[in-house]
Amino acid sequence: MMITPRSFGGVFGKIGMARQNSSYAKSLQGKINISLLFIVATAVVSFMIISITQSRIAVRNTAIEYTSQLIDMMNESIDSYITSMESIARIVVENSDVRSYLFTETGDERLRAEYGERAAELFQTLTDTGSDICNIGIIGENGRYLINDTATKINPYAGYENTDWYQEALLGEEVITSSHVQNVVSDEFPWVVTLSREIPGRGDGEAAVLFVDLNFSSISRLCEKTNLGAKGYVFIMDDSGNLIYHPKQRLIYSGLLEEEFTPDMLQNGDVVFSGDGQKLYTVSKSEITGWTMVGVTYLDEMMSRTGRLRNLFYLMAVVLVGVALTMSVFLTDMVTKPLRKLRETMKVVEGGNFEVEIEEPDTGDEISDLFRSFRNMILKIRELIEQNTAEQREKRKSELNALQAQINPHFLYNTLDSIIWMAEGGNIRDVVLMTSSLAKLLRKSISNKNEMVTLEEEIEYTRSYLTIQKMRYVDKLEYEIDVEPVVLQMEIVKLIIQPIVENAIYHGIKYKEGKGLIRITGGFQDDRIVLRVSDNGVGMTKEALSHVFDERVTDTRKNGVGVLNVHRRIRLYYGGEYGLSFESEEGKGTCVSIHLPLPEMEREWIKRKTESGGE
Amino acid sequence: MLERNNHKYILVLIVIVTILAAIGVFYYSSGESEEGSSELLVRIVLIPKGLNDSNTFWSDVIEGAEMAASERNVELTVLAPSFETEVEVQNKMIEEAIEMRPDAIVLAPSDYVKTLPYARKVEETGIKLVILDSVMAEEAGCCVVATDNLKAGYRMGEYMKPYLNEDSVIGIMEHIKGVSTAVEREQGLLEALGTYGDQIVDVRYCDSSNDKSYEETKAMLTENPDINVIFCLNEDSASGAARAVHDMGLGGKVAMVGFDSSLEEIQFLESGVFNAIVVQRPLNMGYLGLSMAYQAARSQEVPRTVESGSVLITKETIYTTENQKLLFPFRENDKE
Repeated sequence: MMITPRSFGGVFGKIGMARQNSSYAKSLQGKINISLLFIVATAVVSFMIISITQSRIAVRNTAIEYTSQLIDMMNESIDSYITSMESIARIVVENSDVRSYLFTETGDERLRAEYGERAAELFQTLTDTGSDICNIGIIGENGRYLINDTATKINPYAGYENTDWYQEALLGEEVITSSHVQNVVSDEFPWVVTLSREIPGRGDGEAAVLFVDLNFSSISRLCEKTNLGAKGYVFIMDDSGNLIYHPKQRLIYSGLLEEEFTPDMLQNGDVVFSGDGQKLYTVSKSEITGWTMVGVTYLDEMMSRTGRLRNLFYLMAVVLVGVALTMSVFLTDMVTKPLRKLRETMKVVEGGNFEVEIEEPDTGDEISDLFRSFRNMILKIRELIEQNTAEQREKRKSELNALQAQINPHFLYNTLDSIIWMAEGGNIRDVVLMTSSLAKLLRKSISNKNEMVTLEEEIEYTRSYLTIQKMRYVDKLEYEIDVEPVVLQMEIVKLIIQPIVENAIYHGIKYKEGKGLIRITGGFQDDRIVLRVSDNGVGMTKEALSHVFDERVTDTRKNGVGVLNVHRRIRLYYGGEYGLSFESEEGKGTCVSIHLPLPEMEREWIKRKTESGGE
Repeated sequence: MLERNNHKYILVLIVIVTILAAIGVFYYSSGESEEGSSELLVRIVLIPKGLNDSNTFWSDVIEGAEMAASERNVELTVLAPSFETEVEVQNKMIEEAIEMRPDAIVLAPSDYVKTLPYARKVEETGIKLVILDSVMAEEAGCCVVATDNLKAGYRMGEYMKPYLNEDSVIGIMEHIKGVSTAVEREQGLLEALGTYGDQIVDVRYCDSSNDKSYEETKAMLTENPDINVIFCLNEDSASGAARAVHDMGLGGKVAMVGFDSSLEEIQFLESGVFNAIVVQRPLNMGYLGLSMAYQAARSQEVPRTVESGSVLITKETIYTTENQKLLFPFRENDKE
């Protein structure tokens, strides 16, 4: 299994699904976590490789050292056996009783038996002191012998005369044999290591051989006890490469097994690896015996200890990586969580909501600084927006005021003149009506500072105006007002009907021959209020109609300004989709529609009403 | 938010698992060799013919098997009757061994016929069976590890043939009538003797008893005082016969060839009662028997027959390095 960035991307991509647009690997958290993962993993893996390699080397060196010490110690113990055999031999050789027993020519058998008794006593003592001594014996060329005690009989079929230890000892050498079966004592066949030397006689042709047998079991026990693992073992070889001890000596002799170690492998030093590198031979050679002790250790057994160590390393690595990653995840979360929150807040602000609450995290770090700056920015923007809104409102207000039509002074003079004439004519009733109408008109126009009035009030105002005009243009003007009572209580911008009526009178009725009629209707149409002022005056040419909202063409002198102002005020107040619309036919009349929005509540109510009415 | 946290834990988990896997892969490739192929434990039961102090043959077989077991991951159990003639006891032990459900059984059948049904039982349960030392009336087991008894018998005759002449009168002491080892050794011996085979005047059986052999030999020599050559076909018959010859003062006068080795036999060889002995390699037999059983238990192929070998030893070759080890098995217990 390989770790590739791609597979991580896949895995984290899924995890990061909570995020809408980008993958986990691209997020800040992902970047930090993945980098950290790689750093920690690399560190842990290299740490493990180094430690395991080092520990393996250390274990191997320890094993070599341990085995070497063990083998050296064994060698020393075996040497000490041999040394003690040598000292026994020295004592026996120098003992006068022994010599007397072997070489005395007295012919006095009783005396010789006495020597023998004493020599046997010495042998007994030496056997008791020297550990693992099996036999102590002397055999003269003259056939006299004493083995252990006077009772022990020599094996008549032993054929000791032909053995190496006998012949070589007579040549004056000290002999240490390999392990062999000692058959010199009747009915006994112990495995021993024999040390033999000459006991020189007094004259020529007089010589005897002393032999000391060491129980071979003392050596084999030593080798068997030496623990070199379940499969490891120790074996001993003599100078010429013959096996002295080997745990599987018999199998080797019968050809079933072979010991791979050969003495020429020693050229490479005291520590040698087998050909396949699986076995380690640790060698120690004894100066006294000339024997070579070889410890065989199996490397796989040694290394099984490192296996356990390696498991420990694994565990450590897992814990380490786990801790590091958990910490990393929480750390990055700590950083990115407020960042995410900030981003979400920014999104809300992006959407146009500047009223959002910003909770500053209480961490005191760079991120809380960022939050503070962002909050300050939002506050500043909010302030600017408010300031801007207030200015706009002021501007519109003054504009509205400016656009509000004033009562035409000419109309005032003319009305006053009419009153005077009527008063002179003594027509008191008409004077009262006209004066009161004018008073209403003026009061509404001047005193009421509210921008909004109910439609009813607006209609009343218009009615006062029409009353005056009707009295002035007797037989020339008639009017009808027919507004649905439902809409009467709705609030609208004031002074929007009168200027249109005024316009209808001066531009439509005035030039018409005969009596003119002005008709005001009002009601709902779809979701808006529509008021209509229609006249049956001269109408407008098509050209005039198309230029009706064109300021430059409008004949200011003729008070077209009033109509245009109404249009602009409505649009300023309610928005571009509302305002005036004209329908006119030359010679037949004009109809001006005023489109106004319904207040929300009214709209709802009307909707319900129309629905229930529709049933 | 909760869901996010869950994701985090999953992330941590995945990362840990990934790293572990990577490390595992890394070390699987590099660390395979040093772990050592973790061999499964193989359980093997060894059933020799008999085990007692007077007979070293079977203790050597067991020792060889133990050596082989120590080299491998083997749990070795030994079930042994006290004497080779205890056929029923051995058959019970075979059943006992089957109960233990080992991977393999190494069996030295005590009887040519009576052991066979029990060997079949072993095979029926699917336990691998290796036959040791002797065969039975029918072929059984996946492998036979034995001395080539024809060859061993032939060796005896071959050694003696040069010393034979028309005056030679030959007696044979066998262990158990009908046992394959006895039959085969006799066959080999006759083959080597050739025409001298006609000079055999007496063949006796001692039922693998040292004392019975002693008595039978005495009787044989009394009945046929002309006998001057005796072949003994196993350890008990050899020891008993040699003792009888020695006691009758005929040592050196009656030429003897023994079979297998015991301390008694070696002493008779040293003292010249025996001219030679043919020695099997019981240690090898045990070692090879267990090795084959191990291989069979691990479903490896094993040869149909394995020869464990035999050697002819004379007085002169007793103390050679190789033969010392064969004739005087070094055992710590003997000395203590």
